Amino acid sequence: MASFSYRGGISAEPLGLGPAGPFPRAPLVDPIDRRWLHYAFLSRDGRRAMVANSAWLGPAEDEPPGTERFTTILLLHDREGGWSSSQFNADTARPPWSAFALPHAHGVPGELKIAASDNNPSVALNLKRTGRPCTSQCAFFAGDQHLRWQSEPGIAATGTWNDDGGKSQVDLIGYHERVRGRWSWPALGEWVFGFANDMSGDPENPPEWAGVFTFIRPSADPGEATASFMLWNKGRMRRHFPRRNVSFAVRGELERNDVTLTPPLAGLLGVAPMAGVPKRLAITATQGDDWVVLDFNADAAARVVIPSETSFHAFSVHEVVGDCILSGSVGGEKFSVTTRGIVEFSGGADAG
Amino acid sequence: MLDSAGVLITTIDALTIRAPAIVAAAAKQLGSIKLQLFFGDRSEAELFADNSSLIVRRDPSDESYRVQVHFDDRSLMLLFDSAEKPSAEALEKSLDMRGSREDLLATWRCFSLLSQRASGLRSVQAIWSAYRDQVGDAAWRPDADGGDTQTEEMPRWPALAWLNDRYPAAQELLSGNDPVLVPARSLWNGRDAGSWQAAPDVFDNDLMATLDRCKDRVVDEILRLLPHKQPKRDLYDLMRDYVVREGKGLRPTLVIATCVALGGRMEDGVRAAAALEMFHNGFLVHDDIADESTHRRGKPTLHMEHGIGLAVNAGDAMHLFAVDMTLSNLETLGLSRTLGIIHEILFMCRETVEGQAIELGWIHRNFVPRRDADYARMSTKKTGWYTCISPCRIGAAAAGVTDPEQLDKFNEAFRLIGIAFQIQDDVLNLVGETEVYGKEALGDLLEGKRTVMMIHLFRNTTPEIVERMREINSFPRIDKPFALAEEMLAAMEGAGSIDYASKLAQKLAYQGVDRFEKDLAFIPENPAKAVLRQVANYVTTRNL
Repeated sequence: MASFSYRGGISAEPLGLGPAGPFPRAPLVDPIDRRWLHYAFLSRDGRRAMVANSAWLGPAEDEPPGTERFTTILLLHDREGGWSSSQFNADTARPPWSAFALPHAHGVPGELKIAASDNNPSVALNLKRTGRPCTSQCAFFAGDQHLRWQSEPGIAATGTWNDDGGKSQVDLIGYHERVRGRWSWPALGEWVFGFANDMSGDPENPPEWAGVFTFIRPSADPGEATASFMLWNKGRMRRHFPRRNVSFAVRGELERNDVTLTPPLAGLLGVAPMAGVPKRLAITATQGDDWVVLDFNADAAARVVIPSETSFHAFSVHEVVGDCILSGSVGGEKFSVTTRGIVEFSGGADAG
Repeated sequence: MLDSAGVLITTIDALTIRAPAIVAAAAKQLGSIKLQLFFGDRSEAELFADNSSLIVRRDPSDESYRVQVHFDDRSLMLLFDSAEKPSAEALEKSLDMRGSREDLLATWRCFSLLSQRASGLRSVQAIWSAYRDQVGDAAWRPDADGGDTQTEEMPRWPALAWLNDRYPAAQELLSGNDPVLVPARSLWNGRDAGSWQAAPDVFDNDLMATLDRCKDRVVDEILRLLPHKQPKRDLYDLMRDYVVREGKGLRPTLVIATCVALGGRMEDGVRAAAALEMFHNGFLVHDDIADESTHRRGKPTLHMEHGIGLAVNAGDAMHLFAVDMTLSNLETLGLSRTLGIIHEILFMCRETVEGQAIELGWIHRNFVPRRDADYARMSTKKTGWYTCISPCRIGAAAAGVTDPEQLDKFNEAFRLIGIAFQIQDDVLNLVGETEVYGKEALGDLLEGKRTVMMIHLFRNTTPEIVERMREINSFPRIDKPFALAEEMLAAMEGAGSIDYASKLAQKLAYQGVDRFEKDLAFIPENPAKAVLRQVANYVTTRNL
């Protein structure tokens, strides 16, 4: 474990001259300054899902500007075994792998190792880009707060997987994202993020079709909501359906038994219950003659409880896995893909 | 295999238990009109209203029909789907209705109400789906060429319409386990943003499903809040086992529905409902010991299973954890709402123990009051508050309503409904089946419970029989042979006491529903208020 545990300073090390990434070399000065690297993968056989997040948070009220806190959490899901989760103190290789860290040769594997402190769960993966990211996206809300993100589906991963079911080799495909900005959880309100990759086809090539979607609904003024659907074809973003051209709807509720509270310590803290996780999510988008529909049917979720710095209520991110249909027509080319997807339903810090 | 008349009978039976308010509303539209129905498969039926119930029978027998309706399969299916306007459905040899214009319109309003609600119930959908498979679907489709279907080149529908109307909604409907076809909610339509958390958590589509859903959610919360520690075998396992036993879910539903009806979230009412259930369970455990009952919710009572000592202790623990669950609202609802809930719960507990004292005192002194009003007073205190009135008030407090004037508006409607419900429960103990009812048959007579039937019997029979009944009541339960309970039942039947009680319950239920509409008019119409209305009407359409 010592070989990749993050025991040094909590600031990311400079990677070279200029904005080498994955983030600008700018210190976090406000308690609600944040940045994170997000990883979400599904096994090509549809049986497993992995979600991991490495996050940096700005200084507490009495700490000098530039002091950063670093946390990592790892969640693994197996259709038979359910969820395994680390606490927020998972060890990770330093710096964490990112498609946005430059220089980054295309098609060359990089290493991502994350492990709970007792090594269960843990992963040691080789990650490889097969496509290109979207352009950087930004949502402004609550006057002076913002969240900026950039996404890239079609990340291929192979390596070792370790959970309650033991060690195994896995072949995954998923999604990577970098996020930074300044926001408080109550002001952010809630979001629905997610992606789906076409998991069929040659693992050496990018997915034929992939979609990434975003919906952010700030609590103070829902009119500031941000929404988009981005569609990739053969590794390149082919269409960006903007705010006015997309619609999101949900129906039903996932059984509460299928929602697991994480990290493990959250169960001891008397966390207030949250609304049920939607069972179905549909997204439709049209632009000119192009259109796309994503229909997601949830089958399991992990509720990640994140303490909020500015409110009594915690912020919860539900990592939801399920079957998914992605179909549409772009430039006269029709497609329909049946696959698996991961959706995040988040919110709760503004409750009450 | 069902014929058309059978499908209609099954549908109305299902609606009677799952959507009583809709049946009551349809019966109101129908009034005194009696329908003679002819179907394409040559089956026949008659349909008429009896107070708030709808009665449907095969093979019409008399001649007093004011409306005759002829359906073929096509028009019957279209009516169920509410797919076409009446003028489009009334094709020659398909749908024909005969009667005065006013009667026909009233009939159509009755049919529309029933079909609108029936089409939202999965169990009813399944009946009609099977029937369609049976008769073949080509004949009834409203638009044979498909029209606006998925083959459309350039879809313009929003996600909301996709979930409600498009593929694979139909597949989901038939394969899913959810008994209610829950409508989809828009999160974003390009202009307006909704919250994924703002699920309209209670629906009135299917009252049974709503009761189950609220009960399951509250039981889930109770199990979450109970500690996982020793001593399990002699305490916590007893409590867990008792909590998950079958129950109607009336109290959790009233708490949650009132909370949501007044603008709160479902989750806001869950812990208050959990506390209420724990108090109730604690009372039941102790009550069963005091009454020497042998069965509760279809299983042996706790003291019969584990002995009196452990049962008393488990009941005490339930009350203790009920306090804990009440206080757990502090972290979700804040101080002021929690104080409101505490105030309501304290009042409820006081009324309950006073009511229990009155009844146990009557039994102890072998006294049977003469007036129904005495029963009503005792029943309101003993069960009315904690079964009906307090759950509503607690739900309102969880939603932030603490104005005594507004809270008091729940009292009279739910007092009447609560008494009616209790009388019906007492009648069911005498005439219902143990499996359905959950308690032991004639248990009330064995324990000498002072019911409306007993009060009526003592008031309306000969002095000799009164003396004999008094003697039967004087036996302690443990020494009372079952034959004595049967003797008292026969006396009640002879004096018409059971009929009297049934009619009194109906009368009180109607008064309660009437007060519900008048007193609670301040609550805007919403799905949660509709659930309260369904509960209120449940007592008017319940089959005894």
